[in-house]
Amino acid sequence: MKEGFRQAMAWLHTWTGLIFGWLLFAIFLTGTMSYFKEEITHWSQPEVRSHPLDAAASLGLAQQYLQANAGNAGSWFIRLPNEREAALNVGWREEGSVGRRGFVSRKLDAQSGQAVVARDSRGGDFFYRFHFQLEMPHPWGRWLSTFCAFIMLLGLVTGIITHKKIFKEFFTFRPGKGQRSWLDGHNAIGVLVLPFHLMISYSSLVLFMYMVMPAGIMASYDNSREYFNEVFGQREAPRAAGIPTSLVALPELYAKVRDQVPGARLGWIEVQNPGDLNSRVIMTRASADSVAFKRSDNWTFDGASGEQLSRGKPESTAMLVSFTFAGLHMGNFADSWLRWLYFVFGLAGTAVIGTGLVMWLGKRQLKHAKSDSMPTELRLVEVLNIASMSGLLLGVAAFFWANRLVPVTMEGRADWEVNSFLLVWALSLPHAMLRPGRRAWAEQLALGALAFALLPLLNALTTDHGLVRAIAANDWAMAGFDLTALAVGLFLAWAASRMMRAPKLADKRVSRAVKAPPETLGEPEAN
Amino acid sequence: MLSIAMIGYAGFAALCLAMEKHFNELLKRKATANQSRGLRVVGWGLLMLSLVLAVQHRGWALGLVEWLAVLMAGVTLWVFLLPYRPRLLLALAAVSVVLGPVLAVLAN
Repeated sequence: MKEGFRQAMAWLHTWTGLIFGWLLFAIFLTGTMSYFKEEITHWSQPEVRSHPLDAAASLGLAQQYLQANAGNAGSWFIRLPNEREAALNVGWREEGSVGRRGFVSRKLDAQSGQAVVARDSRGGDFFYRFHFQLEMPHPWGRWLSTFCAFIMLLGLVTGIITHKKIFKEFFTFRPGKGQRSWLDGHNAIGVLVLPFHLMISYSSLVLFMYMVMPAGIMASYDNSREYFNEVFGQREAPRAAGIPTSLVALPELYAKVRDQVPGARLGWIEVQNPGDLNSRVIMTRASADSVAFKRSDNWTFDGASGEQLSRGKPESTAMLVSFTFAGLHMGNFADSWLRWLYFVFGLAGTAVIGTGLVMWLGKRQLKHAKSDSMPTELRLVEVLNIASMSGLLLGVAAFFWANRLVPVTMEGRADWEVNSFLLVWALSLPHAMLRPGRRAWAEQLALGALAFALLPLLNALTTDHGLVRAIAANDWAMAGFDLTALAVGLFLAWAASRMMRAPKLADKRVSRAVKAPPETLGEPEAN
Repeated sequence: MLSIAMIGYAGFAALCLAMEKHFNELLKRKATANQSRGLRVVGWGLLMLSLVLAVQHRGWALGLVEWLAVLMAGVTLWVFLLPYRPRLLLALAAVSVVLGPVLAVLAN
C-alpha cells in the first residue's frame, strides 16, 4: 500500500511535470529576471542617467515639474529614484478623466528635474508581466500562471514523497554518470533550495488568492474593488473646493515623515486636487523598507496646511501574513547581495524544472538507444524541450538586441522588442523540428552564447554606457547587466560545447546505463 | 552577515562529515562512532548559533530570511563543488569555523 502511494505520487510528479514543465520553465526564468526588473529597465533606457540619491531634493524637483506642467490635473503621482531605479517618475491624471485614459507619465532626470526623452521600451517590466500574464488577454494569463504555480507546489510535494532518500542523500551529487547525475542534480537543487521553492510557489497562490478563492470576498462585498479599498485603506479623493490654494512644499511633509520614522523611504506619493483648498498628500512607505509588502503603511496630509490627517492603520495578523508572503515572493526588501541570492535561487528553480524535463526524455530514450529513429511522442517532447529552454533564451536575447537595434524614433518600437522576443522564440520550434536532437541543442545554445556574450559589445557600440564607462561612472546596474550577459554567454558556450562533442560520450553513457543493475534505474523517482 | 554565512556553512560541513559515507570519502579514514556523534552535535550547534546570531543581528523578519538564504547558498555550494574541489571546501569549512565566530564578535 505504501509503495503504491509512492508510485502514484511519482506518476503524478512525472506527468504534471512534463505537461506544465515547459511553461513553468518560462515562468521561472522570466520571474527570476524580474528580481532585476529595475536594473533591466535601466539598461533598456540608457537615456535615463543615474545620479547620487537625494530624496528630498527629488521630491522638490517633482513638485516643480508637476506644478509647471500639470497644474490643473486632478491628481499627481510621484515615485522617487532609489538605489535600483535612476528615474524620478511622475504622472498625472487629466482633470475629469476616468481610468487609464488621460493618465500621463514622465521620467525626469533626478538631478535637473527635466523630462528625459527615453526610448520607448517596456524593459524589465515586460519580463515581470510575462511571468504572470504570459502575454495572454486578461485574466487568462493570470489564471494559467496561477495554475502553474499550483502544479509547481504539487510537483514539490510529490517530489519529496517520491524522493525516498531525502536525508540519506542530502549531500549527494555524483557527476559524470549520465542519468544518475541528472537525477542527483535534480534532487539536490530541489532539496537544498526547498525553502525557496516552497515559498515562491505557495506565495504565488497567496498573491492571487482573491482570484483563486473569491468566495469570501463575493459573500461580503458587492465587487472586489470595495474589498480592496477596505483592505488597503484607499479613500476616495475629497471633492475639490474650487478655491485655489498653493500646495505645501512636499519635502517638508517628507521631513515630518522622517521625524516619526527615522530613515523611512518613500514609495508612491499621491497628491489629490493639487492647488486646491481640499488637496490631500498621501505618502506611502517604500516596499523596500520591510519584508512584508505593506500597502497601507502611509501618511495622509492636508495639502494646504501641511497638517497630518491620518496614518495608515497597522495591519491585522491575517493581512500581515499575506503581505509577508507577497513581500517574500517579490523580494523588494532585499539589498544587493540578498537580491543576487534570490536570483541564484530563482535560477535553481528553473534548473529543477529543466533537469526534470531532460530526465523524462533521457530515461525513455534509453529504450530506443539502439534503433535509429525515435517514436513520434518522444521526438515531440524532445522538440518542445529544445524550443522551450534554449529557444526561450534566444527569445530573451532577441529582446535585448532589438532594444539596441530598433531605431529610437520608430513608431511602436516597444512592441517590436516584444515581437522579436516572441518571433525568435517561435522560430526556435521549426529549427528544433528540422535538426536532429543534439545538433539542435548545440546550435541554439551556441547562438544563444554568441547573442548574450556580444550584448556588452553591442551596448558599447550603440550607447555611451559601455561596460568600461559604466564602471567608471559607478553605474553598477548598467555594468552588472553587461557582466551578467557575458556570464550567461559563457555558460551557454560551455553547454553548447558539451552538446557538440557529446555523441561518443553519450553512447558510452547509454551503454553503461543499460548495463547498470536495474535498481539504480528502476527507482520511481527517475520516471 | 558574512559571519553568519560562514558559521552556517561550517555547520553543514560538519553535518555532512557526520555521515559515515562522506567522512570516509573525504577524510580517507574510518569514522568512529564518537567522531560521528561529535560532528553531528557540532553541526547542529553551529546551525543554531548562526540562527541566533542572525535573529539578534537583524530581527526576526529579516534575520530568518537572510539566515535561510545564506544557509541554502552555503550548502548548495558545498554539495555541487564537493565532487570537484573537496579539499578546497574542507579548508573553507575550517577557516569558516574559526573566522565566522571571530567576525561575529567583532561585529557586535
